[in-house]
Amino acid sequence: MRRALGIGLWVAAVAAGLAVYVFLPRLMSDFHSRDLAHAGVLFIAIVGLNMLTGYTGQISLGHGALMAIGGYTTAALVVHEHWRDVWTIPLAGIAGGVVGLLIGIPALRLSGLYLALATFAFAVAMPSLLRKFSGLTGGTQGLRFLESAPFQVTGLKGTVTVFGHSMTQNHFLYYLTWGIGIVGFAVAWLIVRGGFGRAFRALRDSEVAAVSAGVAPAANKTLAFALSGVYAGVAGSLLAIQTEIVNPLSFTVVLSVLIVVGAVVGGLGSLPGLVLGALFVEYLPTLAGHFSTRAGVPDFVYGAAIILVVILLPGGAGGLLRRAARPLTSWLYTRP
Amino acid sequence: MRALYVFAALLGAFMLATAASGARTATPGVTPTEIVIGGTVPMTGVASGFKTVGLGASYYFKYVNGHGGVNHRKIHYIIKDDQYDPAQTSDKTRELVEQDHVFAIFNSLGTEHNLATRPYLNALGVPQLFVGSGGTTFGKDHKQWPWTIGYQPNYRAEGTIYGRYVAKTTPKARVGVLYQNDDYGKDLLAGFTKGLGKKAKLVVSKQGYNVDDPDVQSQVARLKSAKVKTLMVFATPKFAIQSYRFAFQLKWRPKVFVNVVSSASNILKLAEIASSKKQVEGSVSIVFLKDPTDPRWAKDRGIKLYRAIMKRYKDKGINANDVYNVYGMSVAHTFVEALKKAGKNPTRASIMKAATHLTLRNDPFLLPGVVVRTTPSDRFPLDQARLERWHKSRWISFGGLFRVR
Repeated sequence: MRRALGIGLWVAAVAAGLAVYVFLPRLMSDFHSRDLAHAGVLFIAIVGLNMLTGYTGQISLGHGALMAIGGYTTAALVVHEHWRDVWTIPLAGIAGGVVGLLIGIPALRLSGLYLALATFAFAVAMPSLLRKFSGLTGGTQGLRFLESAPFQVTGLKGTVTVFGHSMTQNHFLYYLTWGIGIVGFAVAWLIVRGGFGRAFRALRDSEVAAVSAGVAPAANKTLAFALSGVYAGVAGSLLAIQTEIVNPLSFTVVLSVLIVVGAVVGGLGSLPGLVLGALFVEYLPTLAGHFSTRAGVPDFVYGAAIILVVILLPGGAGGLLRRAARPLTSWLYTRP
Repeated sequence: MRALYVFAALLGAFMLATAASGARTATPGVTPTEIVIGGTVPMTGVASGFKTVGLGASYYFKYVNGHGGVNHRKIHYIIKDDQYDPAQTSDKTRELVEQDHVFAIFNSLGTEHNLATRPYLNALGVPQLFVGSGGTTFGKDHKQWPWTIGYQPNYRAEGTIYGRYVAKTTPKARVGVLYQNDDYGKDLLAGFTKGLGKKAKLVVSKQGYNVDDPDVQSQVARLKSAKVKTLMVFATPKFAIQSYRFAFQLKWRPKVFVNVVSSASNILKLAEIASSKKQVEGSVSIVFLKDPTDPRWAKDRGIKLYRAIMKRYKDKGINANDVYNVYGMSVAHTFVEALKKAGKNPTRASIMKAATHLTLRNDPFLLPGVVVRTTPSDRFPLDQARLERWHKSRWISFGGLFRVR
């Protein structure tokens, strides 16, 4: 009986989440869906990072650079090869995954702070690398979709028709980004609750114990890096599609740091809180700007808010959700 | 727990506030009492020296609003900070169009930045007025981009003038070029090469820098080691000042031509502080605005008006001698005149028509004789200038007014 109730609650929660996804844009101005779509990009990258940092314990400060791989894959295909922008997303994911895998191999020899520093160096070097290969990347100017291939941009004139259903470009971007985000989230959930997830967590908690239990550390760690790279690549691709321009400034170290902040605030090692992590990173700068727009004040408020959240919610939003739901879950999962 | 509630409540309130402001009228941004326009200007970041291009314009609008506005409508000018990053320009411009429902985009600054938004604005039919860049394409390619019009003298023509001048006055000089490696710097470089004509081989070294490079030290060193005697500085203010400084540190004193983007007297005075008066002495540039620090204009009607507006409306911490304020007021003046001609109830089409049928002889902020003139096929509003030389810490213009085409 309680078990059935538990399943019912799960179904209700998922249905409520999907309803929010479908109806949210109708509650706010059209332009606001564009902001939400941007939050969706961060969400996807944060889910990917959480799989790496939250579940296998490998810190990456270089996810902005992995997003650059995805973003530039999309941009190069659109601008040089005249692909339609949305069809480049899978390839951008694959490119991100391959680069993630390549980083994962040397990362095996590093751990903790050393890994963080190495990935940080990758993020710092990325803008210069992008400028170096200017034939492909457009150098400092970057690649401008609208100028080089306007007809490959979905919704240039403001409306998009999907399955006979017409919507504005901003709504389209929202549904596209969060649609991919929800699928990515479900896939991540399936991975972490299965055998891979157990192996990841075992490696995080004690590598020696995991190895003696038969978990292959090298294979699992690089796999986590590659998976995480796929998410970052897809996120970068969506970011490029939204802004219709990529340049080295779009993927700086700050982006990498924001993703880490989002993952920490959302709750490392848990998934449901990550939506809040993404919204936090997206909206806090704007909210901070409401206090005062004097130079330095928004940054100060932003920093203070991050510190406060980390102190007040050590487990992030995910930890908070778990604590809040504990009476219910313990009641549901205890035999009467 | 409570922190989360507070955060969620703030978020909710914020969303409601922005949702409520989405009301529309027939012509976006035009109500019986107000005209809303907007543009992007780097208020912070590497090119924040240009912020007064936007602020100067905003002070002029305040002055006009204080005198009843245009056809009883006040001009509400929204400046968004894009930090000189074209991706942000793109984002902020969409915000202006789709959230703030502006009537037109006005005075957005930067070549790359306006290139990034031009296809979008033209697809939607939003006027992209008086672009804050001398990019030649903004005036030339009006067939493809009917909703776009430039303002200042175009870079290609400016480069051509320097080229001709160098070829004529110093036909044996070893010439070096420092240029910003983007559409802006390359436009000037192309014009310069064209102006040199057969003397193009005088150029012994061309050094590009990227706008997000920290400095131009190595470029300056390479120019010096190429034994350059005449240096073209096609760079934005921060890098132009650096070029004087690093040349000074290397004890190298070439004859400098500094493009109009960085030749405001306040910028050259900073260059003097960063190097020496002797280092900057003799620099050459072009000029089309009245310089508020020039004693020639002390009693001039335009500069008196400028001083009065600055005294009344300027923000704290803004230097009233910053020439970019004058530029901002001039472009705002042109917008106001165009708006007056756009009819009692202006539409996007009528302001575009007015902006492309201008003959303004009375702009108080421009050099005497400079006329703002446009036709549907001539979208270079400002195309006259004079040469000037830096002497004893101020600009002295020489030669007559000529057309920059």
